Amino acid sequence: MDPTQATREVFWNIEYTWLVYVLMVPTLAVFGWGFWLKIRRWRAGQPEVRFDRLGERMQLFLKNAVGQGRTIKRRYAGIFHTLVYTGFIVLFLATTVVAIHHDTPLHIMKGHFYLIFQSLTVDIFGLFVMVGVALAAIRRWISKPKLLVYTDEASWILVTIFVMALTGFMIEGWRIAVTDDPWAAWSPIGNLFALASDPLMSDAAMQTGHVAIWWFHLVVAFGWIAWVPFSKMSHVFTAPLNIFTANLDGYGGSLKTIDFETAERFGINHLGDFTWKDLLDFDACTECGRCTDVCPANTVGKSLSPRDIILDLQALMHKRGDTVLVSGNGDNGNGSGEVELLPIIDQKTAVSPEALFACTTCAACMEACPVHIEQMPKIVDARRYLVMEEADFPEGMMDMMNSLESRQHPFAGTQFSRVDWTEGLDIDVMAEMDDPHEAEVLMWVGCGGALVERNRNTVRATAKLLQKAGVKFAILGREESCTGDPARRVGNEFLFEMLAKGNVETMQRYGVRKVVTSCPHCFNSFRNEYPQFGGSYEVYHHSQFLDQLLESGRLDGNGAAVSSNGSSTITFHDPCYLGRHNGEYDAPRNLLAKLGDARQVEMERSRNTSFCCGGGGGMAFVDEPPDQRVNQERAQEAVDTGADVVAVGCPFCATMLDDGVNARRGDRDVKVKDVAELLWDAVGEPGQAAP
Amino acid sequence: MKLLVCLKQILDPDVPARDFQIDPAAKAARRGGANLVTNIFCENAVETALQFREAATAEVKITALCYGESSAEDCLRKAMAMTVDEACLVERDGNTNPDAAAVGRVLAAAIRRLEQDGGPFDAVLVGRESGDWGVGQTGGLLAEELGRPALGFVESLQPGNGGVTLRRQTDVGIEVAEAEPPFLVTITNNEDNVPRIPKTRDVMMSYRKPLQKLSLADLELDSEEIRTGSSIFEVEEIFIPADEVECELAEGDTLEERVDQLAKRIHQVVASIG
Amino acid sequence: MANVAVCVLGSLGYDRAAQGAAGAGRALAESVGGELHALVIGPASDNAVAALAAVADRVVIGANEALGDYQPEQALQAAQQLHAAGGGDYVAVLLSNDTYSQEIAPRLAHRLGGSSMADAAAIRADGDHLLAQRTAYGGKAISIYRLKKQPAVVWLRARGFEPAPEQGAPGDVTTVDLALDPPRIRITGREVAAQEGVRLEDAPVIVSGGRGLGGPEPFQELKKLANAIGAEQGASRAACDAGWVPPNWQVGYLCHQVAPELYIAIAISGASQHLLGMGDSKVVAAINTDADAPIFKHCSFGIVEDYKQVVPLLTEKLQSMAG
Repeated sequence: MDPTQATREVFWNIEYTWLVYVLMVPTLAVFGWGFWLKIRRWRAGQPEVRFDRLGERMQLFLKNAVGQGRTIKRRYAGIFHTLVYTGFIVLFLATTVVAIHHDTPLHIMKGHFYLIFQSLTVDIFGLFVMVGVALAAIRRWISKPKLLVYTDEASWILVTIFVMALTGFMIEGWRIAVTDDPWAAWSPIGNLFALASDPLMSDAAMQTGHVAIWWFHLVVAFGWIAWVPFSKMSHVFTAPLNIFTANLDGYGGSLKTIDFETAERFGINHLGDFTWKDLLDFDACTECGRCTDVCPANTVGKSLSPRDIILDLQALMHKRGDTVLVSGNGDNGNGSGEVELLPIIDQKTAVSPEALFACTTCAACMEACPVHIEQMPKIVDARRYLVMEEADFPEGMMDMMNSLESRQHPFAGTQFSRVDWTEGLDIDVMAEMDDPHEAEVLMWVGCGGALVERNRNTVRATAKLLQKAGVKFAILGREESCTGDPARRVGNEFLFEMLAKGNVETMQRYGVRKVVTSCPHCFNSFRNEYPQFGGSYEVYHHSQFLDQLLESGRLDGNGAAVSSNGSSTITFHDPCYLGRHNGEYDAPRNLLAKLGDARQVEMERSRNTSFCCGGGGGMAFVDEPPDQRVNQERAQEAVDTGADVVAVGCPFCATMLDDGVNARRGDRDVKVKDVAELLWDAVGEPGQAAP
Repeated sequence: MKLLVCLKQILDPDVPARDFQIDPAAKAARRGGANLVTNIFCENAVETALQFREAATAEVKITALCYGESSAEDCLRKAMAMTVDEACLVERDGNTNPDAAAVGRVLAAAIRRLEQDGGPFDAVLVGRESGDWGVGQTGGLLAEELGRPALGFVESLQPGNGGVTLRRQTDVGIEVAEAEPPFLVTITNNEDNVPRIPKTRDVMMSYRKPLQKLSLADLELDSEEIRTGSSIFEVEEIFIPADEVECELAEGDTLEERVDQLAKRIHQVVASIG
Repeated sequence: MANVAVCVLGSLGYDRAAQGAAGAGRALAESVGGELHALVIGPASDNAVAALAAVADRVVIGANEALGDYQPEQALQAAQQLHAAGGGDYVAVLLSNDTYSQEIAPRLAHRLGGSSMADAAAIRADGDHLLAQRTAYGGKAISIYRLKKQPAVVWLRARGFEPAPEQGAPGDVTTVDLALDPPRIRITGREVAAQEGVRLEDAPVIVSGGRGLGGPEPFQELKKLANAIGAEQGASRAACDAGWVPPNWQVGYLCHQVAPELYIAIAISGASQHLLGMGDSKVVAAINTDADAPIFKHCSFGIVEDYKQVVPLLTEKLQSMAG
């Protein structure tokens, strides 16, 4: 036998092969029609630029679509998805090879290629598919984790894929058995089937069975293909597209501005107000549930479920999208011919005000999503509608917004002014300087630092460290006002814009170029949002700036052991708006590494999978039900590491975790301290341990 | 029906104690960095009026009236953003700290003037007191200037049998009253009349709504006479009480002695409340 | 001759507040060399009339059957007529701080062509004028007002004044019949004391407990203390979270923001949100084992001691003082 001549007959034992081509026509037609419907709906969305920066997009596409970068982060699902995914690719290639071999003059299916790829590799990957589907089925039908959505569709998908793979092996096996295929050993799974069938069945029976199963296999496969655009299997196409068109700017810059002069509605409560990318997001969802699984609000038992928001909106779009989106003015059903603004916020769906106002905007959902769906900005969009069009929001947020409006800070009832914390520190205030340009950097104190008692130590420590390093800095003092972050996150874009414009103007007046702040929320506003209002600065979180000072030797970090309380084990809690939103995980850890013999331990959820303190998205101002407090969940995790100090880098995290730790620490003494406080304890002047 | 709500612009009562200073010459608080805000009870009054409008079957029109500096336009704009129908500012003309009698006279004149143009107000709503001086006399004095019956400490107005049903808070409990228009009420706060946050659209619209401005001359009042002639009281002196910063810890050799000290201090304070 | 009147609602009787108002009136009358008259709106009990006669030089009771039930318009008319019946030559008409007196005061002043003032903690005559002292700017400042017109109609922080001393001979008691118009605002219903206690925001004294109590039982002990000084009970977030007391007891930044005259924090360390919630308290007292607890930076006096040792003893002492 000459392996270079190895091949097989394509339509062995099959008559009426023309029927295959006939059946292919409706199959592809339905498939094409299905995707055309989808594309038509997406195109009815609002415009958004997502085909720029092609190089970066291709990179992301290769990493997270082709390379499955995010999918494989969950081990079990990652394994079975990879098995099925790679199997599908190989089987698709094999089918293509058959088509080329049979329908073109290029008879490529022969020789070593036939044996190694078309026979052996395809068999192995076919087995992968079956194993992968079996693993998925075990999860779906036996272990039943909470994060999945249990639909018949999902089960049928597993069944049909399994049937397709199984019948594929059956027809291969019977062909091998009947034809005594000399290359049988190269198709181990098919051969196994052949060897098993041989003693049990006559050749004639196998031949009959082969014809029947062959056609059955074809019908199932074609049916399945036609079904793809109408099931979650469409993610095979929508997910890569969604990844290619993902937001490249990080979560911190993912909220859109509103043109208040021209906007018909503020925020979103209507399918048609979404951009095409939002609509594509809905179709890209694979129902994997990771977003909801990592959602802090959901974890503590609140009704928010990013997965269900996406799926409910997807269902709505599928049901009503053609009328409402495509024809643009759906009939509202009462025959009046009025344009229907199909509302999306409704108590009966996952998109309820209660759920929307539970979001901390931590972006854990977006980080967890294998296909880069942008859940959080949609939640904020819907909040915008509730806040600005309906004036409907939780009470605590109302007090916060009232205070922002009349006092430019969110802390109604604070006992402090913006400069009280500077007492005894001799800090320059820009307005009082002869030449404000002398200040090389603006220290942006932030409301959470200046006005909340427990955080005043943080800003004092930061200022003292800057002074010690000889940094020429100044503050805005009473001219500082909230950056608007809490207003923006709860959905009051109007208020945010007002505050942002005010701050940009003030900073322009003093020619501010460089900003250091100990609040990651302020940091994010400056870095990602103020450029939209004409304010572009070189922005540092205090941990970054202090890290640089240590690196350059302007601060001496080889000091004493950490803090006066003799604590030795530290765990760092990543602030969402420093870490996930802006990608800075190392600077604060570097500072902690300088603290003598202090030992750093990590929480299970850290860095990009860090779990929110519960204070973002305006939630710091809302009274959570006692049994549904995000801060306590996180504090427990921190306490469980055995750390004596929970290090933070955000005034909101500080207060939230302080409260949480106090409720959870038991008899142990666990302190919550900002990295700057800890650093000052270590490098401050003797006798000045506690600033 | 027509409702009129009186508003006062005051120095933010939430200004931190450390920032609070007295201007001895003006015998008043120094503005400093503090903001000017609408007196909270006045905002409760606006909210109460809006809720009455929402509960009423008949058409209800609400007018906001303020006697203040030009900065008080902000208060009126905010009231309009809360969807008050009309607003009128009587400009204060240099009389920086008019007493309650002066305010009552000016408001009464303005109300009569507005009534000439647009018909009588069935109810006038005034905040029970202001967050700055807190004397709480304006409502009562205005009722007398207008010669209308009045009820204090009202928390809600509801359409009643031919008139208006009022609920109010007293030190013995809740009282319900029936009022025959025209009348005046002073408004206090409760859980239900927390001022609403306006819709953004309404905030934007409030800048497009007209705001009527009147001077004392328009009301045929003499500025000087208002300032001095009709004044019933003036601030003689104002000062910040000495601060008890340091916590005084009970001392003594025995627990008995220390607790006794504590008890005396507590008793002293309780007795002084009266 | 300039006299001083104290205006009393008959239905309220000669309570501690009326006693204080009469005491303030007597002191003022002495300083101006005049008499103290008691003007009584509506029927009063014999005891009350006798008690008023014992401290006032003259008692004028305004009688009209309508006055049994307080109606502001009629009470105002009555006060105006009583003022005339009493002679009308008053430098001051003093009232106590019940809701009814508060609402009548400015209107009576206007009708009498006088000055009005509210919530006076001290008064004294200065020539033809009266000076009244009160708080301003939410308690941040103290202001002294010159009341320029006579009579000065002032409602007082009455319980803060010493009760009037009894005179040698009881004052003359007269009853005058008053003619009253039917009111255009009529109080038709009262839901007296519909709620248990006062709203925390309104409470003049609050006793709060925190995490350090360790369970729900100690709140019973705190209740005894609260009862002894007429206080309402509050709690910190930790105590409410733990379910030791109902959530609506919570004093804090996001719940009840209280402003009592006296706030007693027991076993509360002083978390920032709690401090923001009670920051407006006039006087804060703390009982805590930890001398470094933040609460001690926010109180005027306190004791570093276990509450278990302190509270029962303290309750006992306060009960005997209130005696």
